[in-house]
Amino acid sequence: MGRDVSESCIDSLLTEMVSTYCNRFYANKPELAARRTEAIGYQVGHQLSERYTMERPCFSDHLEAIKFICKDFWFELFKKQIDNLKTNHRGTFVLQDNRFRWLTRMSIDQSPENGTSEELSIMADNKTMQSMHLYFPCGIIRGALSNLGIPCAVSADISNLPACSFVIRIKA
Amino acid sequence: MIVCVAVVGHQNNPLYIQSFTDADDALKLHHIVHCSLDVVDERVNNPKKSGPTLNETFLGLLYPTENYKVYGYLTNTKVKFILVTTDLDVRDADVRNFFRRFHAAYVDAVSNPFHVPGKKITSRTFADRVSTIVQSFGLSSSV
Repeated sequence: MGRDVSESCIDSLLTEMVSTYCNRFYANKPELAARRTEAIGYQVGHQLSERYTMERPCFSDHLEAIKFICKDFWFELFKKQIDNLKTNHRGTFVLQDNRFRWLTRMSIDQSPENGTSEELSIMADNKTMQSMHLYFPCGIIRGALSNLGIPCAVSADISNLPACSFVIRIKA
Repeated sequence: MIVCVAVVGHQNNPLYIQSFTDADDALKLHHIVHCSLDVVDERVNNPKKSGPTLNETFLGLLYPTENYKVYGYLTNTKVKFILVTTDLDVRDADVRNFFRRFHAAYVDAVSNPFHVPGKKITSRTFADRVSTIVQSFGLSSSV
């Protein structure tokens, strides 16, 4: 029962979703806006993981599930796999995507070495806005993993666009 | 003939139970489904490492009672499908086929944005699809 949607529609929808939550619904409460978009992502990830684990045998351990997220799940969502997976074997995983599809249209600010304080605060605002866009994919990962029986916390890091890394901390 | 299908969530909460007989033994069927959950848990926790069935989704015949046979299927997200049938000669392939179609219908029902995960499935489309699959199960195995 799959139907195709144009990718620019998805891009526009996501951009508008973040913008609406940040600027209209929770205008001065960025933490609440972040939590809401993450919760939306959680439900989407929950439902997507049902669909994409349909034909597969069960996962034997956490690493198998994370590898599923990196390969099949990411491929279904973004037409590519995660580029790099690191773990400390104690419940923390870092997934790195060198060209995150939903951030490809985002402008990359050149950080001025000695900018004025105005410019620096504008830079900080831009960074906040950029990180707002990452709560939705973090929610998707968290929803997918918790549906597979792995409660976790997911955060994202965009120190160098367009590469983006997601840090998954499994709750023991 | 299939008398009952059930979907049970990962905390053993019922998500969908539907019986297909005219008789009033719905309670007995619910009881059978409930008992079969124990068998499912047992199979999951003590996997038979001898065969190649370590990570299978289809659990096979759970246990035969005097009139019924109960089949189980476990998804990756720990959702269990239980099938109760009165057929005496049921082919394995038919049951697997049934569960595959049932799983597809379940995934579509859960992808409904108005469905709350953990609550019962109230979609009529899902109920219609399930009864279609149940009807065609009877037909294909009678060949």
